[in-house]
Amino acid sequence: MSKEKRKVPIVDGLFTWPSDEPRLIGSRCPVCGSVQFPKSNVCNNPDCDHSKEPEQILLSPEGTLYSYTIHRYDLRPPFDYHKAPYAIGAVELPEGIIVVGRLTTTDEEKLKIGMKVRLKVGELYSEGENAYLTYFFEPVEEVRK
Amino acid sequence: MTESAIVSAAITEWTASGEPTPSLMDRLASVAVEALRRAKLRPRDVDAVIATTTALPFDNPSFITISAQHFAHRLASKIGSHGMKCINVCGACASTAIAFATADAMIKSGYIKTALVVGADNSPRGFYYQAPSVLDTDLATGYPHKVVGITNPSYWAMWARRRAYEMGKPVEDIKELMALVKVIHSEYGARNPYARYRKVFTVEEVLKSPVVCDPLHLYMIAATSSGAGAIVVADMERAKKLTDKPVKIAASAIGGPLSNEPAPRLVHFATAGGGRAVRPFTEWRRAIEEAYKQAGITAEDIDIMEVHDTNCFNTINWIDQAMGWEREETDKLIRKGEIRHNGRLPVNLSGGTASFGEAVQCQALMMIHELFLQLRGEAGERQATKKLRVGLCTAYGAYGSYGAIIVEKAW
Repeated sequence: MSKEKRKVPIVDGLFTWPSDEPRLIGSRCPVCGSVQFPKSNVCNNPDCDHSKEPEQILLSPEGTLYSYTIHRYDLRPPFDYHKAPYAIGAVELPEGIIVVGRLTTTDEEKLKIGMKVRLKVGELYSEGENAYLTYFFEPVEEVRK
Repeated sequence: MTESAIVSAAITEWTASGEPTPSLMDRLASVAVEALRRAKLRPRDVDAVIATTTALPFDNPSFITISAQHFAHRLASKIGSHGMKCINVCGACASTAIAFATADAMIKSGYIKTALVVGADNSPRGFYYQAPSVLDTDLATGYPHKVVGITNPSYWAMWARRRAYEMGKPVEDIKELMALVKVIHSEYGARNPYARYRKVFTVEEVLKSPVVCDPLHLYMIAATSSGAGAIVVADMERAKKLTDKPVKIAASAIGGPLSNEPAPRLVHFATAGGGRAVRPFTEWRRAIEEAYKQAGITAEDIDIMEVHDTNCFNTINWIDQAMGWEREETDKLIRKGEIRHNGRLPVNLSGGTASFGEAVQCQALMMIHELFLQLRGEAGERQATKKLRVGLCTAYGAYGSYGAIIVEKAW
């Protein structure tokens, strides 16, 4: 009998886990309102007086696809667990930032710039007893091309 | 303010990366000495060496070395130093443009009279990876490869697709345009003895090469390579004594990351807040606009360009940004072949990075070297047929590093 693997975020601090509805972890500056992903200990607005540290926030789970590509080349070790083909998208969030992330589908028929996508967390690869997780954006509408 | 000029320039042939001999320092020294010899200068005549730094693999992972961060100092000792000022510069693929602009600023301010700008690289093969150090686990830039599998070509591919989308065109349109850029660049690489690739491609061959990241095919992306270059820069008074064809540095501008840049920046997870306030690629344009201002010219004054084409989309994007016209104009310019040596606006008559491959830390030296030859009428089979007066070189690199250089005939 195969034992269920232990689910481990590939890097800590990028998304909430464990969680039924995972979200990206960002930060917002209480002085100027500037939003960042990943979260940072300082604001990145050049006009901010930096008088307070940014506060952690959870970013909106839904955004708009700004652009995408299907990666069809394999990566060298140690990153060869990204098995081609895989899809990468740039997603514009309501907070006004564009975040890059994996997309759930490599089917170009299902992808279109401007479409709504939603965050989910899923398995990137597994090794030994661990399944490593990353964040993905999943199309939430049908494409009419 | 003192005027400055390029007195001499030398580059090596660009070759495959990974070859350990000659060592980088030997390559750097040979090409530096060659540039000095051409200017009839000795190391004692050089006030400052400005070198770019690089990242090299180590034989033993338990040791670190800071040697590649100190090429300027090591080169000075190697070629003979009278206490010349040594400056080491890093700015990803824009490193040598930034090194060049640093030298120029030092001369124009009157601090020094003669500078040697050098760079050498033996870039790692394949995709570049940004991996965090155990002592620098910055989430923003250290992990995108690990978490997303995003590579530099992925960003370029997304920009290219977005450009087609914003122009209301199918992605095939930009794909064909990028293939044509490769073809035209390859025609000039074939005529350049310093280029690594001398084959002339056809559009069909480019489109038949494997897809790396749609719409980018393999032959649209510059191969990582090795090379070295050196340029001697001096104040105008001195330059005129050293050569009868000094190439004036009309402008040299350095650009950096812009917090409201809306186009996703290489090796970052995300753009900064408020990114839609300006047009995409404002970050790219900043150094060029500053250079135009320094030189007191406009885009219409540019006779020839060398632009940093790590991939064929960048040639297109640089023309968009440097010319500041509607994107359709760029497409027309390329489709009509007006970027060739006999065209209206020759672009990358060196053959570009498309033909050289990219030796990251000396790429701008290759471009400035080409403009130096073109303006002096010494580019042989690649020589532009139109009358040249002003040339623009633009460089760009990861982390938001940019440089724009404008050169002008001074005789």
